[in-house]
Amino acid sequence: MAKPFHELRERLLRAGVTPRHVRRYLTELADHLADLRAEEERAGRSRADAESAALARLGGVDNLAKAMIEQRQFQSWCVRAPWAMFCLAPLCLLAGAYFVACVYLWFGWRIFLPGADTPFGSPTGPMYGFANIYFQAGKLYYFGAPVLVGWGIGLIAARQRLKAVWLTVGLVLIAWMGATSRIHASRTAVPGGLGHISMNFFTLGASGQAISDGLLHALVILTLTVLPYLIWRLQKAHSGPV
Amino acid sequence: MVARETNPNFMNGVPELLILRLLQQEEMYGYEIVQAIRSRTDAVIAVGEGVVYPVLHGLERDGALRSRRKKVNGRSRIYYSVTVKGSHRLDDLSEAWTNLVVAIQKLLTGGQHGEAIP
Repeated sequence: MAKPFHELRERLLRAGVTPRHVRRYLTELADHLADLRAEEERAGRSRADAESAALARLGGVDNLAKAMIEQRQFQSWCVRAPWAMFCLAPLCLLAGAYFVACVYLWFGWRIFLPGADTPFGSPTGPMYGFANIYFQAGKLYYFGAPVLVGWGIGLIAARQRLKAVWLTVGLVLIAWMGATSRIHASRTAVPGGLGHISMNFFTLGASGQAISDGLLHALVILTLTVLPYLIWRLQKAHSGPV
Repeated sequence: MVARETNPNFMNGVPELLILRLLQQEEMYGYEIVQAIRSRTDAVIAVGEGVVYPVLHGLERDGALRSRRKKVNGRSRIYYSVTVKGSHRLDDLSEAWTNLVVAIQKLLTGGQHGEAIP
C-alpha cells in the first residue's frame, strides 16, 4: 500500500471508521489516483511529477481522513458503544455457546448414557469409540469457548486499532465467566427421567480450594485470550506506532 | 474563470446536490464524477478529489444511490446511479438551493431590504 494510504488507513481505523468502509474507501482512492496519474502523464509530465501532481489533486491525508471521519454513520460499534461490543456481546455469545454445550451434552447423555444418573461418567466404566470422541469433543468445545470468544474480541480490537481498556475489561469478564461456569445435571429433576441440565456463573465455591481453583482457571483463560493481542501489539510497536 | 481554493469540507450540502444531479443523467464512477463537476462548473468548484467518496458512500448508505462493480478496459470500477429515493432527495435539495440562490440574489441586487440601505 502506498505510504499516504497506509497513514490514512491507520488514522481512519483509529478514528473508529469500520474496516470494511476503510478498505472500500482506499480501493476507490487508489483507482482514482491511478486515473489522475494517467491523466497527468498524458499531459506530458514525467512519472514522478505525475505521481506528485496526482496526489496533490486527490487531496491531503488530513482532508481525506476528515471527510470520512465526519460521516458518522461509518463509525463502528466498537467506538460508538464499546461497553456493548467488548462486555455485553461477548458475554451473551459465551452464554449462547454454553447453551449449545448443554444441548450437546444432553443429547450425548440421552444417546450414549441412557441409564446413567449424570452425563459425566458411565456407570459401567470408561467409554470407548464414538461415545468417547463425542464427549471429549464436547469438553474441548466447553473449555475452548471462552478462549475463542476472547480471541474474537481481541481480533476486533486489533483490526480497529483500539486501546486496550475495553478489551481488558471484556477479557476479564470472559475469563471470570469461563472460570466460574458450572454445569449441573440431574436425571430425577424432571419427571419421566428425561434429565435436566442447568448452569450457573460468576460464583466461586465456598471453600478455599474452590476459590483458588477458580482464580487459577480465570488466570489461565485470561492469559490464553490476551496473548495473541499482546503479540500483535508488540509486533506493531516494532513496526511503528500503534 | 479562476478556480476557488480547495475546500476540505467540499461545501456542505452542495456535493450531494451536484452528485445526485450528475448521476441522475447517467451512472458514473468517482473519477468521472469529479471530472464532470469540474468541467460543468467551469472549474469554479474545485475539490480535493478524494473527498467525493465519503459523500458517495454516505448517499449510498442512505439509499439515495446504488453502486455496482463493472469491468472497463480491464479495470474494475464502482459505478454509482441514483435510486428513486435519491431522485426525491435531489428534488428537495434543488428546491432548497434554488430558494437560497433567489434569496441571496435578491439581497445582492437590492431587494426590499437591500433598498433601505443607502
